[in-house]
Amino acid sequence: MTQPIKMLRDAAWQVYEQTGLPTTRNEDWKYTDLSRLTAVLGETWWTPSHAADLDKETVEEQSIPELDAYRLIFINGRFQEDMPNLPEGVSVVPLSTLLVSDADKAAKALEMDEKTPLFNGAIAVNTAMASDGACICIADGVKLDKPLYLLHVATSGGASHIRHGIWMGRGATAHVIEHYVGNSTDAGLTHNVTLVHLDEAATLYHDRLQLEAEKQFHLGRVDVKQLRNSRFVSHSLALGAALSRVDIAVSLSGVNASCVLNGLYLIGGRQHADHHTRIDHASPDCTSQETYKGVLSGRAHAVFNGKVVVHEGADGTDAKQSNGNLLLSDHAEVDTKPELEIYADEVKCAHGATVGQLDLEQLFYLQSRGLDKTSAKNVLTFAFADDALTQMISAPVRRYLERAALKRLPQGDELQEMV
Amino acid sequence: MLKIENLHASVDGKEILKGIDLEINAGEVHAIMGPNGSGKSTLSNVLAGRPGYDVTEGAVHYNDKNLLELSPEERAWEGIFLAFQYPVEIPGVNNVYLLKAGLNAIRKHRGESELDAMDFMSIIREKMKLVDMDESLVRRSVNEGFSGGEKKRNEIFQMAVLEPKLAILDETDSGLDIDALKVVAGGVNKLRSKERAIVMITHYQRLLDYIEPDAVHVLADGRIVKTGDKSLALELEKRGYDWVLEETRV
Repeated sequence: MTQPIKMLRDAAWQVYEQTGLPTTRNEDWKYTDLSRLTAVLGETWWTPSHAADLDKETVEEQSIPELDAYRLIFINGRFQEDMPNLPEGVSVVPLSTLLVSDADKAAKALEMDEKTPLFNGAIAVNTAMASDGACICIADGVKLDKPLYLLHVATSGGASHIRHGIWMGRGATAHVIEHYVGNSTDAGLTHNVTLVHLDEAATLYHDRLQLEAEKQFHLGRVDVKQLRNSRFVSHSLALGAALSRVDIAVSLSGVNASCVLNGLYLIGGRQHADHHTRIDHASPDCTSQETYKGVLSGRAHAVFNGKVVVHEGADGTDAKQSNGNLLLSDHAEVDTKPELEIYADEVKCAHGATVGQLDLEQLFYLQSRGLDKTSAKNVLTFAFADDALTQMISAPVRRYLERAALKRLPQGDELQEMV
Repeated sequence: MLKIENLHASVDGKEILKGIDLEINAGEVHAIMGPNGSGKSTLSNVLAGRPGYDVTEGAVHYNDKNLLELSPEERAWEGIFLAFQYPVEIPGVNNVYLLKAGLNAIRKHRGESELDAMDFMSIIREKMKLVDMDESLVRRSVNEGFSGGEKKRNEIFQMAVLEPKLAILDETDSGLDIDALKVVAGGVNKLRSKERAIVMITHYQRLLDYIEPDAVHVLADGRIVKTGDKSLALELEKRGYDWVLEETRV
């Protein structure tokens, strides 16, 4: 390891040693108790998992079907040497390579700002430990013809610390899919931080699909800086893992930048999923639209917190946010909190949250047309969830998620025709 | 086909139907008229099995079955169709999907094979013509963003696709302008057949100008107080409901 990287790593580790993991005394972590993580994985929860190989068949099994994309595979947090042929103007270098070959660039990918919103000790650990990831640079004006598909498979216990960086040049357009799955029967941790920089008029479609194995823990963070006229369209899904927490922080720091943050959590059993988002309107005439939907069954527990801050001078802000939750069981629980802080005068802001059950009128209508009660419930549940996916840009990705969602409904297989 | 005997039903503990007797045979069209609050919609909802209605007395026989024991979907499978007074909007559920799932469930119940997508679409196209239904509406989510008239037209379109034995049209004429009323009535007339019974629930006589009933019943305060032919409807239109109520009080 080069000296600058070592210093950066050591400094980050010190931050962790001082701050530790967030506890439930921290308002942003009130409902998500990370002591579950240490209780299961131990005090050295951050210990990296073992490297592993995966046979081709398993990789294909875990991949999104019918998706034509530039695929990069990470197994237990390590890039598998199989770089796709990328078009001109598109550079993807594994962090593990940069750490050896280009300390400056690696340091950029490992950048950490303790003042960013929702900063916590776990991010410092990621900075100190991240061994691999994709450092993606799209040159000015380049429009990527196919999605970049980052497939992450966890095959054993231990922690995978992954750091991705996406740098989009002026007017560049790309679609990046982060897909997290696993076939491990042991508890482990997937720990990812993704940094996104959008230069003027750049557009990034970003899908973050968490369908981990049932014992897995998952911590994720996406940190987005947007310049003038840029656009960020995010879909964050949580269907898997025992406990997951994903923070997305977007800074709209150029005139007329816009972002769409959509999300869906569909959980049951004793699953816990926490989504925190933070949007900073730091420049005038920016737009943010946020729709998160949740479907909970069993004893599942979900947390949604969406904070929008409109800074002084950010006139012409248009911010819409909504969070809808469907509780299919009396024992499921959701804690939802939309937050709005406005320090500018001319703004349009709307936010709202709902928690409810299936609409009985709709249920009766479907039954009166011949659908049995279970099917009718499934149809309505699916339609509710699917509403969060309507802005997805890739049909194969959406279909994959819809199929996965249906599988999680009772007798949902009968509904495969809906998708 | 349908035999209602001394039917009493209440909502939230309040008795709305106070002893209804009615018999309807295949091939007949019956109109049930009455002032607001007389129990017209309660009757249609009890027949379709909407939750929230308690039958406290009486019986409903439908083709040798005890109708009141069946769930709403079982009633649909047995050939009962309710055209809703207020059709529900269901965002995210496609009209075509709903009808295909419904029709196939009904066919399965009858021991018939399920229709594939192609056969189903040719049925859809044929029935669309019946009520002048636009394809773009058919492909949208159920009733989402439909105008009042489009919703009512969609109900009759669904009836055409599902081909019920007993159709109950609950105030299908309300909220329709005269042109839409003609289209909807035209559709219903084309669906009249020897095997099918139709019950039209309406407040006004004007629907009956276009769909000629075999019998007209006046419902008041939870009872059928008068039965006649279509001339009764015309008389009601002219003189209102008061005279019937007074006559029956005597």
